[in-house]
Amino acid sequence: MNQTDRPIANPIVVLREEFDDWAVLFNPDTAEAVGTNPVGVAVWKRMDGKRSIEDIAAEIKNSFEDAPDAAFKEIAAFVNRLAENGFVGLELESK
Amino acid sequence: MSILSDMKQRKTGQAGMRTINTLYFYLTEGCNLACRHCWMGPRFDATGNHYPTLPVELFETAIREAKPLGLSGVKLTGGEPLLHPHFTRLLEIVRREELKLTIETNGLLCTPEIAAEIAKSPNRFVSVSIDGTDAATHEWVRGVPGAFEAARQAVRSLVAAGTRPQIIFTVMRSNAGQVDAMVRMAEEQGAASLKFNVVQPTARGEKLHENQETLNIGDLIELGRHVEQELAPKTKLKIFFHYPHAFRALHRIASGDGCSACGIFGILGVIASGHYALCGIGEQVPDLIFGAVGKARLEEVWRENAILKALREGLPERLEGVCGRCLMKGRCLGACIAQNYYSKGSLWAPYWFCEQAEEAGLFPTSRLGTRPTQSPLITIGNAASE
Repeated sequence: MNQTDRPIANPIVVLREEFDDWAVLFNPDTAEAVGTNPVGVAVWKRMDGKRSIEDIAAEIKNSFEDAPDAAFKEIAAFVNRLAENGFVGLELESK
Repeated sequence: MSILSDMKQRKTGQAGMRTINTLYFYLTEGCNLACRHCWMGPRFDATGNHYPTLPVELFETAIREAKPLGLSGVKLTGGEPLLHPHFTRLLEIVRREELKLTIETNGLLCTPEIAAEIAKSPNRFVSVSIDGTDAATHEWVRGVPGAFEAARQAVRSLVAAGTRPQIIFTVMRSNAGQVDAMVRMAEEQGAASLKFNVVQPTARGEKLHENQETLNIGDLIELGRHVEQELAPKTKLKIFFHYPHAFRALHRIASGDGCSACGIFGILGVIASGHYALCGIGEQVPDLIFGAVGKARLEEVWRENAILKALREGLPERLEGVCGRCLMKGRCLGACIAQNYYSKGSLWAPYWFCEQAEEAGLFPTSRLGTRPTQSPLITIGNAASE
């Protein structure tokens, strides 16, 4: 089966939201963690294997007043970094 | 738009050889103040004539041997660095060697002429300690009448000469109520930044803790949040509260505010007796002295000293207690190895602040996490028959 462009959050990773709307993503399998800003939190919550990165970027641009034009590029980079660390996978094509 | 703040930034590659970024020169064994919270505990010396100061030749030797190892800057501290009888000569050497200059001073001897000498260094950073917004508060901490006005005058002289200093304010029970007013005073004085320090339980600071003249852990955490979240957004000053990474807001860490990380991989101390040491802690803990400047070759000390090697190989993974379980350990590195060693006699001991916070149920749970222990393999066979 081929991978799609629809990212899916690793279900074992825990999102720990903090007081300032930033959050820690913690992988209990590896004890690795990354901190993310509110935009990253919003992206994380949308990585359900149904939305493409483009869909997510469009939703983010509608939700955040100050989202820059380069939002898609930055979100794609964010997802890629998470994927490199095993925090995110890409949904497989269904038959 | 920065999205990620990687918490394991320093996790890998630490066993390799590091460069010496900065030599910390603790220039004098004496000090012209008698601060209640001092973590070095120098003896009182109003004129700088009574106790050893680092010979200029050893200052030059250490720099000469450190430059091939990557040296890019020096910090001049004490005791009180301006008490050094050849302070302006040291400044000339720093300029000649094109090093970044950092000075930590109480300001008493910072005349307009000295401020002008300091300003000749193109890459410089100066901090002046002021622990209150009035003379009575500051001088209760510092132990010498007139110290308050002298420190304020030092800030004015530095600003006039073109160096906007950082003011360092150490919080304790007697001055905690002046934190907000201190921000205004620092603005009025023309400071570039204001840093709030926590009293370390080392040397005289330990006595201050024992006498309960410091804030308790809950009050410290609360004050840190007040400074970061309520005061910082309202001022153009850069302001910092010097507590461990685990307590700092992620957006502050992501913005590049590097306070509260132990610089252990890139610094080495040189104390007034002419010895290399982990840092100024060598004045208090002989175990952390690594050899005499000019006799021991610095390259050998830096590469081969057993403690430095152990730290490079062991940090952050060997940290114990709450520091071992903290997600920020790769950045924080145990906050202050010297303090931890002083308190517990171990390089891997947890930092007192974090340990107390955990005991009080105040350590942020979102910053904790450990890898689950692997289950041992199950032995298959009949043990009874063996």
